[in-house]
Amino acid sequence: MAREVSLNSLQELEREVILQVLYRDQAVQNIEEERIRKLKTHLQHLRWKGAKSVSQEYRENSCARCHQELGLLLNRGAVCQGCSHRVCSECRVFLRKTRAWKCTVCFEDRNVKIKTGEWFFEERAKKFPTEGKHGTAGAKLLQSYQELSKISVVPPTPPPLSESQCSGSSHRLQELGQFKGFNKSVENLFLSVTTHMKKLSKSQNDMTSDKQLLATGPRQCASRTERRSQSDTAINVTTRKASAPDILKSLNQESPKRHTNPVLKQEDLSSRPTPSAVFSGGLRHASLISINSTCTEMGNFDNANVSGEIEFAIRYCFKTCSLEICIKACKNLAYGEEKKKKCNPYVKTYLLPDRSSQGKRKTGIQKNTVDPTFQETLKYEVEPAQLATRWLQVSVWHLGTLTRRVFLGEVTIPLATWDFEDSTTQCFCWYPLRAKAEKVDDSILPNNGELAVRAKLVFPAGPRKFQEALEGTDWPSPNGQLCLVVLGAKNLPVRSDGTLNSFVKGCLTLPDQHKLKLKSPVAKKQACPRWQHSFVFNGVSPSQLRQSSLELTVWDQAIFGVSDRLLGEARLGSKENVAGGRDMCSQSELQWQKVLSSPNLWTDMTLVLH
Amino acid sequence: MASATDSRYGQKESSDQNFDYMFKILIIGNSSVGKTSFLFRYADDSFTPAFVSTVGIDFKVKTIYRNDKRIKLQIWDTAGQERYRTITTAYYRGAMGFILMYDITNEESFNAVQDWSTQIKTYSWDNAQVLLVGNKCDMEDERVVSSERGRQLADHLGFEFFEASAKDNINVKQTFERLVDVICEKMSESLDTADPAVTGAKQGPQLTDQQAPPHQDCAC
Repeated sequence: MAREVSLNSLQELEREVILQVLYRDQAVQNIEEERIRKLKTHLQHLRWKGAKSVSQEYRENSCARCHQELGLLLNRGAVCQGCSHRVCSECRVFLRKTRAWKCTVCFEDRNVKIKTGEWFFEERAKKFPTEGKHGTAGAKLLQSYQELSKISVVPPTPPPLSESQCSGSSHRLQELGQFKGFNKSVENLFLSVTTHMKKLSKSQNDMTSDKQLLATGPRQCASRTERRSQSDTAINVTTRKASAPDILKSLNQESPKRHTNPVLKQEDLSSRPTPSAVFSGGLRHASLISINSTCTEMGNFDNANVSGEIEFAIRYCFKTCSLEICIKACKNLAYGEEKKKKCNPYVKTYLLPDRSSQGKRKTGIQKNTVDPTFQETLKYEVEPAQLATRWLQVSVWHLGTLTRRVFLGEVTIPLATWDFEDSTTQCFCWYPLRAKAEKVDDSILPNNGELAVRAKLVFPAGPRKFQEALEGTDWPSPNGQLCLVVLGAKNLPVRSDGTLNSFVKGCLTLPDQHKLKLKSPVAKKQACPRWQHSFVFNGVSPSQLRQSSLELTVWDQAIFGVSDRLLGEARLGSKENVAGGRDMCSQSELQWQKVLSSPNLWTDMTLVLH
Repeated sequence: MASATDSRYGQKESSDQNFDYMFKILIIGNSSVGKTSFLFRYADDSFTPAFVSTVGIDFKVKTIYRNDKRIKLQIWDTAGQERYRTITTAYYRGAMGFILMYDITNEESFNAVQDWSTQIKTYSWDNAQVLLVGNKCDMEDERVVSSERGRQLADHLGFEFFEASAKDNINVKQTFERLVDVICEKMSESLDTADPAVTGAKQGPQLTDQQAPPHQDCAC
């Protein structure tokens, strides 16, 4: 009887020891994630600098990185092997002891891949393609503890923040004290898993383990204490009260207050740029879309003669990943109701192409004025990588009687070209309000949703041959394979009932106009479909692919045999084919180049559907 | 004393972002072969003869300077006991390199190497780098596994081989540094498709090469 108790208590201690290790690991992971985020942000900035933007006319004879004019004879620039952009001599990085070089962005891209350990995750994904790319065993274990216990001890994956936004360490201590309560369920987890594992590792004749089990009495426990106190990593169980606060401190530094906001939690969990992060919107329920927005988005509103200006400032905090739009004031607005000279204005923002209610922010309503002062800050939590794909739409509305809304004007700003680090761009600025873009202009704003794909060029031969193939050496490689996993889509133009029976068609047009076509299964009744379907285009060589174009189209399956409805399309590669949309595609175009230049590695892409 | 060291470690771990890469390394092997001692010797340069069985998992962090790079190592020490196997194998997937350890005075632990190697193949990524280490080489009198057998088995499994002693601090640092180098080589290789020069890859000796690894057996 006495022995049973001691065994139990030891197991409890075990759990606590392991949990402590898991928390320490979590702290280490958080630092690592923060570091990785910084690296990626840095890379993203380099990309933005080089991106051919909407505002800047792309000039063929300028450096793709620094936009410096290239000469006809001197400093003519050269094409980077990685991204196929022409860059000036300043924007090249020569590789160690060679004459080979890459442009600054391609060099940094590789650098980041090394420093973030991305190379490892990619390699690992080859063996475990179905499992998450980044998840650690520790995070999983912690999660399973919490799932079993149904007590949220700590947030499963705190976002990568190192600010010391302590939220009451004493509270955390209390929670730690409550571990005892759910140890039982954890015990069950251990038990079931260990019995399962025993079958697998029966060949392992670890005799000592049995002895150890028998010797797990109080004395053993005492000796552990002795030993552990000499180590700074192991947790001294008996002196836990003294040492725990130190461990907790480091943990608490990592747990920012963002968790207090339940709405943002979802964003927090997906702080890594995995496809799931891109598609966190996919979890949203269609019924959440606010009626009013749906009305206004469907064109169910009145138009005023747009006039006036709006003053606001945009700021982005890289540390917290928050985009802040400070709406200051408007002047000379049109009257919402011209006859009555009435105007109750408010401001609404979206980060296009997301037009869902989750992406909507509104100011309060000012009564009876055409020169309202708002002084309100609207906030978004966005990853830097996501930011580059978004347009900020700021619109002004009048709230009339019977909640009839009148459109008073809007401003749309592409964030891809916005320099968030330049302090001058953070100042308040007046923007003239414009009328809603005409249908013709709609092609400028991609609003048919986004498609997430993962692509890889599988290339059996060695790297040297690949280089040759890149350089255009005539080397046919009929064994090349383009693998494409169509993960999912969101923000698609849905049916009136808010659903879709969608599928994807992939068409690879080779230089000889030969077309390879593939089709995904239908995802039924989903507004944000997740197909997870892979397309494999066989028998293509990299040089062929460079001149090929890949067209991905998303369709809504016809119900009664009528023709399927085209929801949107995205095109990759072969520039002549990208009609008018080069600026828009620059991001995905870069990613596509990455796919072509890094065979056997998966690249995630988010494509804007037109 | 315990709390003093704890707080110091807390600061060290939470503030230090000053490194180029982070590698995760896992030490595995039968119970009582000296995994924890090996890690303590490397990370803290300390040694305690008393045997305390590791509970599940533990880790230590050490930042080293190697190949002109600051590399942060998160070294996971695993429990050898079978009843923790579930937890420990869960960590295989995140490890870039392994130290597979046996005790030269314990035949049993040597015989289990093959099984441990199978576990790595099952639970880890395809390019897992493994170093086979025969620990306790200071205890020459009680030796039951000869260096030659250890080396033969390592060759057979395609691992590099060291004999080491956590107690006398023989080959401990060398083992970790070699593993780091091998992981660096793998890293360059995996990115090689673009260009081999950036990371200074030495198109390095394959692990299966017979004469490549510097066998630094201890002299005792």
